[in-house]
Amino acid sequence: MKEINKNVLKDASSRLLFDMTEDQYDVLEKEFAILIKQMDLIGQIQGVDDFEPMTFPFDVTTDLLRDDIPSEPLQREVALQNAKDIVDGQIKLPKVVG
Amino acid sequence: MSYLDLTLADLHQALVAKKVTPLQLADEALKRAKDNKENAFERFMESETFAIASALKEPEVNNPFWGIPFVIKDNFSTKGIETTGSSNILNGYVPSFDATVVAKLLAAHAVPIAKSTLDELAMGGSGTTGHKGPTFNPFDPKHERMIGGSSCGSAVSVSANIVPFALGSDTGDSVRKPASFSGLVGFKPTWGRISRYGLFPFAPSLDHVGYFTRSVEDAAIALAIIAGPDIEDATSSHKPVEDYTRLLKKDIKGLKIAVISEVIDSIHNKIVIAAFDQTLAALKKQGAIVSYVSLDKQMLGTIFPTYLTLCCAESTSNNANLDGIKFGPRYEGKTYQEVMQKARTAGFSELIKRRFVIGSFALMRENQDVLFLRAQKNRRKIVDAVNAVLKDHDVIYLPAAPGIAPKFSESGDRLSDTYLIADNHLVLGNFAGLPSITIPIGFEDKMPFGSNVMGRAFEEALVLQVAEKIENATGYRNLSVKAVNL
Amino acid sequence: MNFEAVIGLEIHVEMKTKSKMFSRAPVTFGALPNTSVLPLDMAFPGTMPVVNKQAVINAIRVCNALHMEIDREIWFDRKNYFYSDLPKGFQITQAKRPIGSNGWLDIEVDGVTKHVDIERLHMEEDTCMQHHLFDSTLLDYNRAGIPLIEIVTRPTIRSGAEAMKYVERIRSIVIFADVSDGKMEEGSLRCDVNISLRPYGVTKLGTKCEIKNLNSIAAIEKAIEFEIKRQTQLLLSGQPVEQETRRYEEVKKETVLMRKKTDDVDYKYFVEPNLVPIKLSEKFIHDAITSCPELADSKKARYIQDYGLSDYDASIILLDKEVAAYFDCCVKLSPLSKLLTNWITVDIAGYLNKTGKTIKEFSVAPEHLATLVAMIDKGQISNKQARQIFEAMIEQHGEPRALADKLGMMQISDESVILGYIKEALDANPQSIEDYKAGKDRAVGFLVGQIMKKTGGKINPGLTSKLLLEELKKR
Repeated sequence: MKEINKNVLKDASSRLLFDMTEDQYDVLEKEFAILIKQMDLIGQIQGVDDFEPMTFPFDVTTDLLRDDIPSEPLQREVALQNAKDIVDGQIKLPKVVG
Repeated sequence: MSYLDLTLADLHQALVAKKVTPLQLADEALKRAKDNKENAFERFMESETFAIASALKEPEVNNPFWGIPFVIKDNFSTKGIETTGSSNILNGYVPSFDATVVAKLLAAHAVPIAKSTLDELAMGGSGTTGHKGPTFNPFDPKHERMIGGSSCGSAVSVSANIVPFALGSDTGDSVRKPASFSGLVGFKPTWGRISRYGLFPFAPSLDHVGYFTRSVEDAAIALAIIAGPDIEDATSSHKPVEDYTRLLKKDIKGLKIAVISEVIDSIHNKIVIAAFDQTLAALKKQGAIVSYVSLDKQMLGTIFPTYLTLCCAESTSNNANLDGIKFGPRYEGKTYQEVMQKARTAGFSELIKRRFVIGSFALMRENQDVLFLRAQKNRRKIVDAVNAVLKDHDVIYLPAAPGIAPKFSESGDRLSDTYLIADNHLVLGNFAGLPSITIPIGFEDKMPFGSNVMGRAFEEALVLQVAEKIENATGYRNLSVKAVNL
Repeated sequence: MNFEAVIGLEIHVEMKTKSKMFSRAPVTFGALPNTSVLPLDMAFPGTMPVVNKQAVINAIRVCNALHMEIDREIWFDRKNYFYSDLPKGFQITQAKRPIGSNGWLDIEVDGVTKHVDIERLHMEEDTCMQHHLFDSTLLDYNRAGIPLIEIVTRPTIRSGAEAMKYVERIRSIVIFADVSDGKMEEGSLRCDVNISLRPYGVTKLGTKCEIKNLNSIAAIEKAIEFEIKRQTQLLLSGQPVEQETRRYEEVKKETVLMRKKTDDVDYKYFVEPNLVPIKLSEKFIHDAITSCPELADSKKARYIQDYGLSDYDASIILLDKEVAAYFDCCVKLSPLSKLLTNWITVDIAGYLNKTGKTIKEFSVAPEHLATLVAMIDKGQISNKQARQIFEAMIEQHGEPRALADKLGMMQISDESVILGYIKEALDANPQSIEDYKAGKDRAVGFLVGQIMKKTGGKINPGLTSKLLLEELKKR
């Protein structure tokens, strides 16, 4: 597991595209210490790694698939009604490079 | 006594008998909502409410929701009405569609009156982290105690006699815990029983649509209206929707009830235990067989970190779409990253950010094995254990919480080292997707507390049946702030 | 020191289903921006994916054509990253359990069969389109969510020529299976190349570079050739090849550095919790495969075996799915496959090339072409006349017999009728009979000429000569 220190936490939050205050990183570091301790408890349980990871609450599969019939799309004004910077019916961003 | 103080079923009778009109109810409900001091609402729907209510003229005898005012937690999409998830990052966001469950209620001619507050993006259990500040518990006029969360506003709206029915969502206990703190029936059916389309996702593998009522009968009636498969939700169940009232009033002779010893042992509040034991006695008197079963204490001690890891991981991914570009407040920058960064930095509260970092960390390649995947493995281990109990017993029955609603001063939004099994067992219903209902069973210091019944997948009718027996025994049907004369 | 090129290809194929991979919005190309969008495509909160059945059927068809193992359960994963063209902040893809694995294709390169190992095939969704202006970028969500198939080979390709042939085969498969338009220039088929060099005999892989922005099949070969040269030069001069992403420049025919590859991006993959795994029954898979339109390979074998086409001719026809369909119609109506092939590969192809039309826009129906070649074969018209009728059919949209009549060109091939004219001519020209008997062969030509004049050129000259000689012998 990656070592946890403020730099790692800062890197993680910058990859999530937000900033926090120094104080908050302190709080977070402490929270991680608690969480990791508790996660270690799980690691100590005999045989936990013998179980298959479970994504869904029960092992359910379906054979249902959606028929390939298109629906009426949104009116453009409706699709864009919540966006603030529109040019030529498209959302405008600063020039994307790379 | 206003008709608005009645249960949904009783109010339906009054509407059918034309003793009151939907418009009168809606007006009264809106007035009470606006007068409410618990900070339970994001916005009132006024014009929509008026338009819908005034168009309802002829009551539909067989439609229990006709003309019934109700409240919607503000993480359910409502077409044309701002929906924020109580987060600044979604200020001004107006959905172009209704959540399926909202559409069903509107189709049943229920009358929506307001969007209620929640812990920001449903990620909390105190009712204090929404962008409008803390929501208070109407049973505590001093406003020292929380109502819990994340469905805090919806809990207020039903317990403070504003509406008889309010939608909530339950990912770790977000309907069933506040129900306990506010004397309500809080119900979460099986995962997939109610469509989640249009519900802002917190952790899809744990999210459930749930709701608050003031009687078990109301909860049973409501489920049949909003349950069912949805072509927009690939996880929704195609099992037939039943008459969920069909086992109410039938006896429970021979019903096997399991009580988990470790949870009971971890509760030190004598009043809660005494009230709980009384309900056990009442159930036994009606022919139920009660057994104390043991679940591994060490395993129970891992419920919370497992839950936190899983829900933070899923949540951090679910909320990656919130960037101010398609919706929400927009910021300017020199690059698209800057645009997104400004929106996310300003729009998310500090607590949410900390949760996202935890979630992201758990998913990192170097960490997934020992954090996220191990939590998923532990989930299976726990679920197997719970289902094993439910193989030999029909329901698991426990106090919903270790005590009454905590004071704000007693709790905070930081991860705590003190771990209470009794505080976390409701999550078992989310891990295993099982139907689970909280009903009120007692009071301490004039604050209510409840117990919780959890059953096998898709056995909602049975769970409701047991809950009603408890309701009959306690007499706490239609409990509310008014009912206790507050 | 000689270096071996070790090449792997990643191909993305845009599927032309009617609706998107997870959303019901229509799949459109060239529509006005943001007019083909539903809430899920713009990642509005609370929207949820629902898997498109036809996309799965298409994926199964391609898996089958590539001899892949098909997973009986469909699982999806989230690939999490932030980018301007990714509305949800993650892409739904199949990381851990691709629908197809361990496939192969045998390709022919300069007469040698090359076995290409294909590692995986999976379904995923496309991103937004970005229109770059001078100082801003505009987002169009029409493309967001269109179904994609990604096909990844093992690094078993060794040259630009092999890479080209492989991509041509994939293109042919997805076009004939009706899965995609397969147009690299339009972006419905995209190819990325991963290439590294190593000394022959060495098993350890060298540092690989990724090449993007290949807009044509020819570009693939050119880019690989350039890259092999570039990396060879580096290695020979003792410099290391650095892990880079490079873009191919059409004009200079070179690869140019786009960005250095630092560490591998961590996409934090996990199972998509909003999509319960889908079980594929044997019947579903079987039906998906048997309902697949006939692929080029199978057509080619049929053309060669059943219709006697040459490998070359068959390949020409199979370059275009619609031309093959046209050919299929024609040979159902007429056994004259050689004639039909000539007309299609020479005359029709020539016309389409000249006018820039497609065969779908071609106004001569297969039935009419079949009739035309039948008339040639029966000797009712000459080749020259056939071409005139052909052109008339294009201009006037008529039926060949009627047009022939109109143009006054039905060649007389009825033997009894011809004999009638012959007898007439012989009776009218007794001197020619004498000349013929005297060994003057010119007389035959003269008589044929008379008959031709008499019938306005409509009589079948070859048949006339033949019958005339027989008659002369009798007299």
